[in-house]
Amino acid sequence: MKKGLSDRQKQTRSGYLFLIFPIIIFGIFTIFPMFFALFISFYDWNLLIPDKPFVGLANYIELFQDEVFLIATKNTIIYALGVVPVQTILSLFLAFLMNQKLPGRGFFRLAFYLPAVTASVVTSTIFIWIYSKPGLLNYLLSLAGINGTDWLTNPNTALLSIMALNVWSTSGYFMITFLAGLQNIPASVYEAAKIDGASAWTQFWKITFPLVRPVTYFVVVLSLIGCFQVFDQVFIMSQGGPVNSTTTMSFFVYINSFKYFRLGYGAASAIILAMIIYFVTVVQKRYFPPEPY
Amino acid sequence: MKHLIICIPLIIVLALSSCMQGEKPMRISSWVSSPAETKMFRNTLDSFTIAHPEIVFDFEPIPGNYSEKLQLMLGTNTGPDLFFLKGYLAPSYISFDILEPINYYIEADSSINLDDFFPPLLDAFNKDGIQYGLPKDFAPYVLFYNKAMFKEAQLDSMPKNWEELEYFAQQLTKDKDNDGKTDQFGLVIEPSTEMLMPFVYQNEGSFQSADGKLGITDPSFIEALEFYYGLYQKGLATIPTDVGQGWNGDTFGREQAAMCFSGGWLIPFLKLSYPDVDWGVAPLPMGKTKATVAFTTAFAMPKSSKFKNDAWQMMNYLTGPKGMKIWTQQGLALPSRKSVAEKNGFYDDPVYSVFMESAEYASTLQVEISERGFEEISVALQAIFFTGKKPLEAMENIKPRIEKYSLR
Amino acid sequence: MKKIRLSKIFFWLLLVGMTFIYMGPFLFSLSISLNAEQDVFQWPIKLIPQKWTFKNYIQIWEDLPFGRWLTNSLIISIIQTISNVFFSSLAGFAFARLRFPGRNFFFSLFMASLMIPGIILLIPKFIVLNEFHLINTYSGIILPGLVSVVNIFLMKQFFETIPKALEEAALIDGCSYFKIYWKIFLPISKPALAAVAIYTFQGSWNEFMWTVIVTTTSDMFTLPVGMNFLKNEFLVNWPLLMAGTILISLPTLVIFIVFQRYFVQGVGTSGLKE
Repeated sequence: MKKGLSDRQKQTRSGYLFLIFPIIIFGIFTIFPMFFALFISFYDWNLLIPDKPFVGLANYIELFQDEVFLIATKNTIIYALGVVPVQTILSLFLAFLMNQKLPGRGFFRLAFYLPAVTASVVTSTIFIWIYSKPGLLNYLLSLAGINGTDWLTNPNTALLSIMALNVWSTSGYFMITFLAGLQNIPASVYEAAKIDGASAWTQFWKITFPLVRPVTYFVVVLSLIGCFQVFDQVFIMSQGGPVNSTTTMSFFVYINSFKYFRLGYGAASAIILAMIIYFVTVVQKRYFPPEPY
Repeated sequence: MKHLIICIPLIIVLALSSCMQGEKPMRISSWVSSPAETKMFRNTLDSFTIAHPEIVFDFEPIPGNYSEKLQLMLGTNTGPDLFFLKGYLAPSYISFDILEPINYYIEADSSINLDDFFPPLLDAFNKDGIQYGLPKDFAPYVLFYNKAMFKEAQLDSMPKNWEELEYFAQQLTKDKDNDGKTDQFGLVIEPSTEMLMPFVYQNEGSFQSADGKLGITDPSFIEALEFYYGLYQKGLATIPTDVGQGWNGDTFGREQAAMCFSGGWLIPFLKLSYPDVDWGVAPLPMGKTKATVAFTTAFAMPKSSKFKNDAWQMMNYLTGPKGMKIWTQQGLALPSRKSVAEKNGFYDDPVYSVFMESAEYASTLQVEISERGFEEISVALQAIFFTGKKPLEAMENIKPRIEKYSLR
Repeated sequence: MKKIRLSKIFFWLLLVGMTFIYMGPFLFSLSISLNAEQDVFQWPIKLIPQKWTFKNYIQIWEDLPFGRWLTNSLIISIIQTISNVFFSSLAGFAFARLRFPGRNFFFSLFMASLMIPGIILLIPKFIVLNEFHLINTYSGIILPGLVSVVNIFLMKQFFETIPKALEEAALIDGCSYFKIYWKIFLPISKPALAAVAIYTFQGSWNEFMWTVIVTTTSDMFTLPVGMNFLKNEFLVNWPLLMAGTILISLPTLVIFIVFQRYFVQGVGTSGLKE
């Protein structure tokens, strides 16, 4: 070998050389921040005040007495519990329909996936108009003789409206994930079922559903993590209002850090959010594992 | 040597991002409230360039959440060198110690004549004798009314007190196509602290007394709030979002409401966007006493600025007799200098005399609580308007939390 | 057989119905953007405008810094895409093909980081960039997104499917590992590279939260952030806003239509190998 290096040395040298850049970026923007977040959560860290005193657990104690934080936690949990099941079932159902080898599949796939590839600011802006009092949704309701409300300024409907938007905009993405899983199921399984005279419905429940279980697990994890961190739609459509009815934990982190400049307090709330996400995924893995044992 | 290739994208990234930036001249920022206001401010800046051609600057209006963005900029060393500062936020900015005191500059320049400014406006930006900004203008809330609607309802005077305001609103609320839904409201109001406060002051209440005590649960405050909310509850007033608008100016302009409370910023907006609407102005109706709220805005500069002398030159010009005259004669806001108000003929103008008269008994909204505290009040107001929470209950709930955000 | 055919017709009609729900909002926003009348809040709503015009699309370029935002969006998305394609494939190659001490450690570390929710990193990342005075600069927006773990994982998975025999001949010829990566692995990895490129571009084009936080002046805004601030202005000019939303969606839409199969492949790989 040239330069007298052994292949092993060569591999080590090349390996680190190839990885050095990702490791640096990763170290600065993921590993270090993770510990740093914990560190600043023990400080009264105001962006505008140079003096940053150590306050111990004061931020955490304040959080649990902060009514807005408790509302945000409640809203976030409602959001995730509402969106995840609906989204998962809907996208599995769409994938099932798509897998029926019907004419125009390419077009349907485009239609369902379109909201998922579109910027959140675009879908949110369009839905502000749809949800407004003289908007499209109320127009359609009025055709059915129902007098709709102003969906985003009514505290009873605002969070629900944003949840519906989330289901609409991301179910296409998960549909494709499911579709990939469905296509891995050998056609022979269905053939056998058909010979036995199983209806499409039975096929779905007896064959499709159990076989895509690993994909379902993956979809639920991703969807949970996404829901717990929902920010864009809240920021764009409602700014947490009305009456804090759409303040989610991510939005709470944002306003405390970048509006009231209490970065330590914001970091503490972000850490609690991370712990909740971790807890939820552990529970999910424990009780709904990817493969049934 | 081949490994050098790895570095190429990295170098490109860094090179591209650094050369795209470059040195910036002095920057001045305003909020963006309407295209009309931005255009007028540009005109005023043009006059500054004529007076001081040697000072180069960039004008960068900040759209969206102005105060939030501005503080973020100041905290990240990306702030402008001169900016608009709202009077009621001044205590919060001063407590953060990010504003440059300007006493030194004032003392060095004998031509300023601070006595020409209306004293309360100057005081809004002063703490313990240190001046942090000079007021560029002010705007009191007055009553805007739709002349055609008043004529149609055969109303030929203006509401003088709360009872009359309610009666007028009743006369002006109409269901034109008889579908059971109101198409024209007597009044458009917003569930905001700013718009509520005139009624509180008229009822001899206050938000925060001079010693820092919150007045939001006092009977005088609650009575005013109940009257204000009552107008909405009875269906005589609407709020902009109920009729698909972003703010009361659009609701008034689209003739969905016959009256609205606003400062002078509504005038150029109506002229530009709704030129066909025939409107007039009148002083706010009075309660126990005459009162209104005036908003004032100052120019201030950050401690971190590298262009303090240029920024001062500009501040001094824009709040001086010449710059202020050019800015205020465009009709958006009233001059904070008495001499300029006289020169502009505002005391004789049928529209502006109403503003000048209101200015006599207007209070500037001065609160010494942090922004979060201020926002929680708005949230409480929304709770009253949107969920029908009882005003007293809502305010009592929120009081201990607001006290926590006091800047004292 | 007849029963199955009936259910197929039912399924097809169901798909058509769903298509309206998923496409409808876009079609209406297109319709509003072409509406010649300012007042879109008419009742009853006219789903198809009576007078058509492209003036909103022209006005966006004339009255707004749309061109500047577009340039920013392009610069940021393109740099992040190139960097991700190059560095993730390089790192993926190292993890898939090279044996060296620490390899498993770094790989597990990378994978474990996928469990960290992004929100927790937001504040410290911001403080770090602020210390280096990189807030409101291209570097500040771009740096954290130069390489992503998901992409490295995707490339590693792909490279592992390539038979060893391919590189062995080259190794005997004394080729460096970089040359093997560059000359042998890259050319046959186009589908995987395309998937990485498309995902990165789309993610970076649509990125909102990070850009909102690190940009403070409008000359640094990207299209999504610019559009959001436009929306906040007093005049809610819906035809103009909708024209903007349509323009922002176009690049991702075109990319999606052209590269549909890579999208599906990418989602398939990342979804199943978890």
